[in-house]
Amino acid sequence: MVLWIGVLLAGGAGAVLRFLVDGAIGRRAARSRHFVGLPFGTLVVNVSGAALLGLLSSLALNRHVALLADTAFVGSYTTFSTWMLETQRLGEERQVRSAVANIVVSIVLGIGAALFGQWIAGRL
Amino acid sequence: MNQPCLKLTAYFGERQRVVTDDVRRPGFLADAMLDLFDTRELATSVMLRGITSFGPRHVLRTDESLTLSEDPPVAIAAVDVESKISGLVNDVVAMTGRGLVTLERARLVRGGDVLDDTNGDAIKLTVYVGRQERIAGLPAYRAVCDLLYRRGFSGGAVFLGVDGTAHGERYRARFFSRNVNVPLMIVSIGTAAQVSAAVAELSAAASNPLLTVERVRLCKRSGELFASPHRLPDKDDRQRPLWQKLTVHTSEATGHGGVPIHRALVHRLLDSGLAHGATVLRGIWGFHGDHKPHGDKLFQLIRRTPVVTTIIDTPEWIARSFDIVDELTSEHGLVTSEMLPAVVSITGPDSEGWTDLARHDY
Repeated sequence: MVLWIGVLLAGGAGAVLRFLVDGAIGRRAARSRHFVGLPFGTLVVNVSGAALLGLLSSLALNRHVALLADTAFVGSYTTFSTWMLETQRLGEERQVRSAVANIVVSIVLGIGAALFGQWIAGRL
Repeated sequence: MNQPCLKLTAYFGERQRVVTDDVRRPGFLADAMLDLFDTRELATSVMLRGITSFGPRHVLRTDESLTLSEDPPVAIAAVDVESKISGLVNDVVAMTGRGLVTLERARLVRGGDVLDDTNGDAIKLTVYVGRQERIAGLPAYRAVCDLLYRRGFSGGAVFLGVDGTAHGERYRARFFSRNVNVPLMIVSIGTAAQVSAAVAELSAAASNPLLTVERVRLCKRSGELFASPHRLPDKDDRQRPLWQKLTVHTSEATGHGGVPIHRALVHRLLDSGLAHGATVLRGIWGFHGDHKPHGDKLFQLIRRTPVVTTIIDTPEWIARSFDIVDELTSEHGLVTSEMLPAVVSITGPDSEGWTDLARHDY
């Protein structure tokens, strides 16, 4: 029971953090003419989440802590659905280059970030 | 029955709360405003949700990011005879914390009205109908667009209201409802002769449609420059400030340099620092130029819905913004300009209220 309440709280905290980070970065990026269309907030959230998850998963955490930190917190901090929706919205407006860039950049940086997280964990 | 009327339009962020002395949690501004229009039994009012905007503080609202699209811009238009609208302007301004309120002169028209030619300028015809109303078996908005297209109008766009009043009754869109009477707004641009003919035809075909006409200048169509916006003085002869509105009709999928025109336009205006604000509304159906009326289809990758960018500014700043508009609409788009006789920009608690409508013949 305590564990489930922990999942609830950690998940909630992850979602709130995403809302704040995504909003702050998105607002700044949306103003920049060079990045018209690219949803930077979501990219930053997903890449930083991947790095954090890489780090956490490489640490030998006990399984309850791992559930709270990985699945609940990072799971609700990062977002696959928003990434997909925003890419589809770019396609709708015929911004094909931005849509493809959004997918490729997210994957490349995301995998790189997860590796980087693991590398950091290995050096701790 | 060609009756002078006023059109009030309020622009603000949807999550904004109403300014009130009530100590409890105040309600949403949009809701309170429509409650006011409902109690005053306005001929029509319609609330439209925008996709991107910025105002005098240069804070950008956009639906490009999911998190940011949680607070979209809204535009609420209300139309009735002069006495009714001028009687509620100060209430609207008082309940708004931040936003822009504009007043425009228009005329309510019915079948049989013949419109005068307005010094070679064009006419904007606005039609208000219910969402599910039907004309000759077709949804009313599609029938109206077909008619306008057939009459040779330069362009037209249908905007879906999410809330509003029609003939003094409140109709709010709900999720589990057919939303039959929730108003739609159809904005179109034509010549005096085209509008007169369309008004006669519409009055005969639809039951009790609400039609208004306003004078506009047709500046550009499909890349062709007809005329620059009127160079108006900053003030009329009694020192009342004049404002101008530029309207840019484009399609969601028409781009300039790989970016949709409306997105590029908002960014360029924001970057220039020489614009007080702009709002983009997405329509559900429409046309401009030579292509037939179009909208969303069930299966599609690219949306072809019309989008309309509205830029409201002082005459001096409009002239500068027009240069940006002109550059971005080098191939596509329909651009019009109008005079606004009164604008109240509400940037804080001590904003000035409304005084008087300016008058300027041009």
